[in-house]
Amino acid sequence: METQEKKKFSRGDFLKMAAVAGTSCLAGAMLNPRDTAARGDDTLEAPAVDLSSLPPEIVNKNELLKMQQDLQRALKKPRGARKWAMVLDLRKCVGCSACTIACKAENVLPPGVVYRPVMDEEVGTYPRVTRRFTPRPCMQCEKPPCVPVCPVKATHKREDGIVAVDYDKCIGCRYCLTACPYNARTADFGEAYTEGTPKVQDYELRPSFEYKKKWPRKHGVSPIGNARKCHFCVHRVEKGLLPACVTTCIGGATYFGDNNDTDNLVSELISRPNITTLKSELGTKPKVYYIWG
Amino acid sequence: MKLASSKKVLEKSLTRRKFLKISVASGAGALLGANLLEKVSGLENSLRAGKEADYPLNNPENIINTVCLQCNTGCGLKVKSLDGLVVKIDGNPYSPWTMWPHLPYKTPLAVSAAIEGHICPKGQSGIQTLYDPYRIRRVLKRAGKRGENKWISMPFEQAVKEIVEGGRLFSGITGEESRTVEGLKDIWALRDPKVFKEMAKDIKEIWHTKEKEEKEKKVKEFQEKYKEHADKLIDPAHPDFGPKNNQLLWVHGRLKSGRSEFFKRFIQDSFGSTNFHGHTTVCQGSLYFTGKAMSDQFDFDEKDKKAKWGGGKKFYWQADLTGAEFVIFVGASIFEANYGPPFRSNKLTQGMVSGKLKYVVVDPRLSKTAAKAWKWLPAKPGTEAALALAMTRWIIENEKYNLKYLSNANKASSKADNEPNWSNACWLVKIKDGKPGEFLRASDLGLEKSLKTKTLKDGTIVEYEFDNFVCYSGAQAVTFDPNDADNSAEGDLFVDTAINAMKVKSVLAIIKEEAFRFNLEEWAKICGLEVKDIIEISQEFTSHGRKAVADIHRGVSQHTNGFYNVLAWYTLNLLIGNFDWQGGLSQPSTYDNAGEKEGKPYDMGKLHPKKIPPFGISIIRHDVKYEETTLFSGYPAKRPWFPMASDIYQEILPSAQDGYPYPIKALIMYMGSPVYSLPAGQTQADVLADINKIPLFVASDITVGESSLYADYIIPDLSYLERWEFQGSHPSVIWKVQPVRQPAVAPIPEEVEVFGERIPISLEAFFLKAAQIMNMPGFGRGGFKEGLDLLRPEDYYLKMAANVAFGDEKDGSKAVPEADDKEIDIFLKARRHLPQGVFDADKWQKALTPELWKKVVYLLNRGGRFEDFEKAFDGEQLKNKYGKQINIYIEKLVKIKNSITGKGFLPAAAYLPIADSQGKAIEDEKEGFDLNLITYREIAQCKSRTISNYWLLSLLPENFILLNSRDASRLGFNDGDLVRVISQSNPQGAWDLKAGQVKPIVGRLKVIEGIRPGVTAFSLGHGHWAYGAKDILVDGKIIKADKRRSAGINANAAMRIDPYLKNTCLEDLVGASVAFYDTYVKLVKV
Repeated sequence: METQEKKKFSRGDFLKMAAVAGTSCLAGAMLNPRDTAARGDDTLEAPAVDLSSLPPEIVNKNELLKMQQDLQRALKKPRGARKWAMVLDLRKCVGCSACTIACKAENVLPPGVVYRPVMDEEVGTYPRVTRRFTPRPCMQCEKPPCVPVCPVKATHKREDGIVAVDYDKCIGCRYCLTACPYNARTADFGEAYTEGTPKVQDYELRPSFEYKKKWPRKHGVSPIGNARKCHFCVHRVEKGLLPACVTTCIGGATYFGDNNDTDNLVSELISRPNITTLKSELGTKPKVYYIWG
Repeated sequence: MKLASSKKVLEKSLTRRKFLKISVASGAGALLGANLLEKVSGLENSLRAGKEADYPLNNPENIINTVCLQCNTGCGLKVKSLDGLVVKIDGNPYSPWTMWPHLPYKTPLAVSAAIEGHICPKGQSGIQTLYDPYRIRRVLKRAGKRGENKWISMPFEQAVKEIVEGGRLFSGITGEESRTVEGLKDIWALRDPKVFKEMAKDIKEIWHTKEKEEKEKKVKEFQEKYKEHADKLIDPAHPDFGPKNNQLLWVHGRLKSGRSEFFKRFIQDSFGSTNFHGHTTVCQGSLYFTGKAMSDQFDFDEKDKKAKWGGGKKFYWQADLTGAEFVIFVGASIFEANYGPPFRSNKLTQGMVSGKLKYVVVDPRLSKTAAKAWKWLPAKPGTEAALALAMTRWIIENEKYNLKYLSNANKASSKADNEPNWSNACWLVKIKDGKPGEFLRASDLGLEKSLKTKTLKDGTIVEYEFDNFVCYSGAQAVTFDPNDADNSAEGDLFVDTAINAMKVKSVLAIIKEEAFRFNLEEWAKICGLEVKDIIEISQEFTSHGRKAVADIHRGVSQHTNGFYNVLAWYTLNLLIGNFDWQGGLSQPSTYDNAGEKEGKPYDMGKLHPKKIPPFGISIIRHDVKYEETTLFSGYPAKRPWFPMASDIYQEILPSAQDGYPYPIKALIMYMGSPVYSLPAGQTQADVLADINKIPLFVASDITVGESSLYADYIIPDLSYLERWEFQGSHPSVIWKVQPVRQPAVAPIPEEVEVFGERIPISLEAFFLKAAQIMNMPGFGRGGFKEGLDLLRPEDYYLKMAANVAFGDEKDGSKAVPEADDKEIDIFLKARRHLPQGVFDADKWQKALTPELWKKVVYLLNRGGRFEDFEKAFDGEQLKNKYGKQINIYIEKLVKIKNSITGKGFLPAAAYLPIADSQGKAIEDEKEGFDLNLITYREIAQCKSRTISNYWLLSLLPENFILLNSRDASRLGFNDGDLVRVISQSNPQGAWDLKAGQVKPIVGRLKVIEGIRPGVTAFSLGHGHWAYGAKDILVDGKIIKADKRRSAGINANAAMRIDPYLKNTCLEDLVGASVAFYDTYVKLVKV
C-alpha cells in the first residue's frame, strides 16, 4: 500500500509543488509564529466521560478500557506533564490494516495521504518462510528532524511531545516530507476517491476535527495543500478517547498512553527488554516503540 | 501578506484543476443518472458550523449501534453520523465480536458512547458501500438483450405491476417482439392451503410406496382425486413436482433472519413455492451439512409418530479461542477471513504472547495466520481427511484418546461422568459383505422392542415402539436407548466380533480401519507433509486435555470430498472429547426472534391468516430420495439428488437450464451473484442470459452487479446500513446473542408508496406492493391477523425485536430492562436524521405494546442483545452447550444411494480422492495442467460486494496470481508477468459472459515463497466486470465505468466443470459443497 500511495504524491503535481515551495521558502522567514491560543489547541479539557463506573473485573481483562482509564487520569495533569507514547507489539499485529483505514476515516484523508501504513514483508525461503507486518505511524520524535526544516514553524513539537502541523501556517513546501527519516508525512493534493465516478461523495468532503478544529474539505482551505501526518488523534485524546488506530486494532497490538505515568500499561511495556525503536541510530528518539518478539 | 498569496498560488496550482474535475463530475452524475444515482446530502449543515470545534462523534445522539454485513461475520457496529452523513464506523462495545471482554449490557449509553470496539478495514469501509456512487435509486428495466447492460429507469409501481401481470413486457427488444411473459399472478396457481396440505400428504404416500406398479396406481389415484386442479400442477404425470407455484424460483446470497422470514412469507407462506434456496454450498455447505448429520438424534418424531433419526441442525462447531491452549487451523485463516478477524484475532494473539496458546495452520498458502503459527503445514489441497486420519492413527496407536468419554453410549452414562454430551463411538454396527451397514439393534439379538410413551405438544400421550441400540462391554452385549437419562450404557471402543453369527464392529473399530489403511509415512506422503510434523502435532493435540482443538473451515469443506474431510476432523476432535468444553469446540447460541418459543410476544410464523405449506420436489432435488420419486428411472440420474443437504447454490440455475426436475418460469434473486461467486460461474451466466430458461428475471441489488446484469428488472435495495435484519451468531461466539441490524442512515433509494404508506424502495417494498396488487393474504390490512396490519417493514421487524427483548423464558423473566426517559430521549435524537419513511416514532410505537416498546428501545440502543461476559462459562465447560448426542457414524448414509452411480455412501470418516459426479478421479495433472488452483481471502476484500470500497482498494488495488519461486523459475515466469489461466474445461482461458462479451482470465503474477510449490492461488473479490467496472447505458445515457473496479483477476471461470453434468462445477454429492480447490490449471504468459 505504501508504495502505491507514495507513487501518487511523487508524480503529477510535483513540479508545481516544487516551484511553490521555492517561493514560500523565502516568504517563511518573514513570519511571526502566532501564539498557541490561536492554534486552538491549548485548552486543558476535562475528560468527556467518566469510565470509573465500569466493573473492575471487566476493565482488568480489557486492555483498551485500561488504557482509556489511564488516559483519562493523565488528562487531569497539565499538558506539559504528559508524554504521550505508543507501543506496537509486532507479535500481535495481524497485518489487517484496520488502523490505516480507521485513520483515513477519522481524519478524512484523501488519496495519497496516509498516516499509518502497515508494511507486509515476506522473510525466508520455502518452506522456512514467514511474514512480518509493521505499522508505521509518525514516530513523534523527541528530536524531530521535521521541525527545524519547517520555514514557517508550522511543524512544531507540543509540550506533551506530539509533533503537530499548524495547518493555518503550513505553506506546503514539503521540506518536512524529505526530512522525515520514517516517510511519515504525505502531502494533501485535494484529491477525492470518488473523483471520476458519477458523483464525488459527501463523506469525502466532510470536515475533520484534527487539532480540535473543524477542517472542511473545501477549495482554498487547509489542510488541502498542506503536509499531513499522524498526531496521535490529539483531538480525541484530549477528549478522553484513545487514538482511532488503537481502538480499532483487531490483534490488540497497539498501545497508547502517558509515558510520564509510571503506573500504566504503556510505561510498563516500554520498560521491558524486548522494546526497541525504528532507526534508533539517528538519535531522533521516537516515542513510538516496537516489540519485535 | 506574502505568505497568504503564496499559499493561494499553491492551492490554485494544486487543487483548482482537481476541483473543477470534481464539480463537473458531480453535475454529470445528477444528469446522467437522471436522479438515479444521486442522494440527499446532510453535508451543507456540517459545513455551516464554526471553525472551533467540539468533537461530536462520541455524543450518543450521533450514534446508532447496528451490525456489519461487509462479510458474514456480523460484527457489532457503532455508526457515527454528522448532520445525517455517516462519517465513521467503529466496533460496538456491547458486542463480544468487537470488544473483549465486551461491556456489561446495562452500561449506560453515555459511557458506551465514549468506548469504541475494534473493527476490520472492511467494517471501517462500509461507508463506501453505503455511499457508492454507482448505487441505483430507481427500478431499472432491461432495454437490450440480457446482459447487454442497457436499461431504462421506471416508476416502482409500474414495474411491480408489469412483473405481477406479465404480458409482452419486452416487445421493444429485437427477438422478443412477440414474447409473452407469465407474470407472478399466473404462476400463483394453487391458492388454497387445504389443498396444499392434502396433496402433500398424498405425495408422501406415493413416495413411501416402494412397488413400481403400486406407485403408478397411487399416481393415477392422485390425478383422479385432484382432477379439477390438474391445470395447477406442473405436470400431472409427476404430481410430486408440486403446483405451478413452484415455478417461481427464489435464490438468495447473503440473507439473515428477519429478512429471511419476511421474504419466505411471500415466496412460501403466501405464494406457495417450495423453491426458496440460499447459497450455503458456495461458502461452506459441507461443513454445515456434516454438522447437520452429526447432530441428528434418534428420537420420537411427532410427524411420523415413531422413533427415527432427525432434528439435525444445519450448523457446525468452531474452536473456542478464549480457553484453547492448542489449536490446529485447517483451511481457516482467522486473521483474514473466517468468522472472523475482529472476533477471533485478539484471542489468538493474546494467547500466543502470554505463552498460553500455541497453534498450527494447515494451508497450502502462508496466510497471515500461518505467518505467526508455531508450525505452518502446507498440505496438498484435497488431502485434509488424510491428515486427520494420520493423526487418528497416531492417537489410537498411542492410546491417547479420551477412553472414558468415548465409552459413554448414552445420556445417562455421560451424565454420570459430568460430560456435557456423548457420541455413538462405541455403538455396534452390522457388517454386511464386509461393509459397515446399519446399527445392531436389540431385535437383531432376538430381544423385544420396548414400549415407550411420549407426551405431544397438544398434551396427548402416544405409545411407540423402541428398538434399542447395542454396545459391547466385556464380551457382553448391552442394549440401550441413547436418550435414556437413567440407565447408563458404556461400551468397549474397539469391537470386531460376531454375535449370533452376525458380524459386528464398533464405530471406532470401523474408523480405526480407515485410519490404519495407510501407515504414517504413507499418509504423510499423500498430504505432502513430514511424518515428524504429524507426530508432533498429534502429541501436542493430546497434551492439553479438552483445551486442544482443530478448527476447520472452507479449506476442508470446499472439495468434492468435503463432507468426509469435515467428518474426519470432527471425529479427531471427538477422540479428545472437546465438544462443549472451554477451549474445545463450541456451538452458536441465539435469542429467538421468530417468536417460536412458548410465551413469546409474537409468533411470527403463525401470524398469517392463510398460510400455505408448500410441497413438491425442489428444483435442487434436496431432502428427498431419488428412488422414492416418480422421476426415478435408474442410474445415473440426469442430475444428482441431495438427501443430506439444502441451499445448493450451484445446482439452482443449471437445474433450471436442464429443466430437471422441471422448468421454471420466474426467478427472483436477492443479494447473490452466482456468476461472480461460483466456481465456473460462466455456466450460471449461460442460464441467466437465456430468456427461454428464465422467462422472467427480477433481481434485487444495490447496484448493477455481475449477476443482476442479466436481470429483466433490478429493484434497488437498501444497503445493510439502511435496513433491518437479525444477524444471529456463529459457533465461535460462546455467548448467547442476537445482534440487530437497524436503519442507521437515511436511505439512498427513492421513497415509494405501498398500502398508502411511504417507505424506501427495497425488497420489502417490492413484496408489499406485489401482494397489494395481487390482493395476497399475509400482507397489508389484517396481514398478520384481523386487526393487526403489515403495512411497513417495521410492523414486522419491531415485533421480532420485541421477541428478542422479551427473552426466551415464557414468563418474561429474562426480558431486557425498559429504557428510561433519558434513554428514550437519546434513542429519538439519535434518529433525528432519519426520514419519516424510515423512522416515524408514532408508527414504531404503534407496532408494539407500550411495555414492549420501552424494552425494544433498550435493545436497539445497544445494537441487539448480548449475554454478559462472565455468563458464558460453566466451570471448565461452556455454558451454552450443544449437550446432545454427536454422531461420528451417520447411519442415514448407508440407507441412501448416490443418484449418479447407484452405489452407497460411506457412513464414517474416510479419505476419498478428488472425483467428479460419477466418482471418477480428476486427473488433469497428467494432461499437463500442472498447478493446483486455490482461492483465498485477503482481509481487504469480501467476494462480490466490496470492490466499491476505495479505502480497501488503496490497501490492495489489484489482486495477484500467487506462485512459488520454484514454479516460477521452472516455468520461466517473473514477478509481475501477466498470465492467462487455462484448464481442461476452459482451454481458451476466458469468461464467456454472453451478449457477445468475453473476458480473458488474465492476472498479474506475484512470485513468493509462502505457497506450496505446485499450487497457485488468487484472492477473491477483484476482477470485476460489472458493479461500476463497466459502462452502463441508462435512459439512453452512458454512465461511465470506474476502471479501478475492474483491476485484478477472478479466475473462477477456469475451475473445472463436471464432465457428466457439463453445466456445473465440481461438487460434493453428500455435503453439496462446490469444489473451489480441486482444479488443475496451466498458466500461459500473455
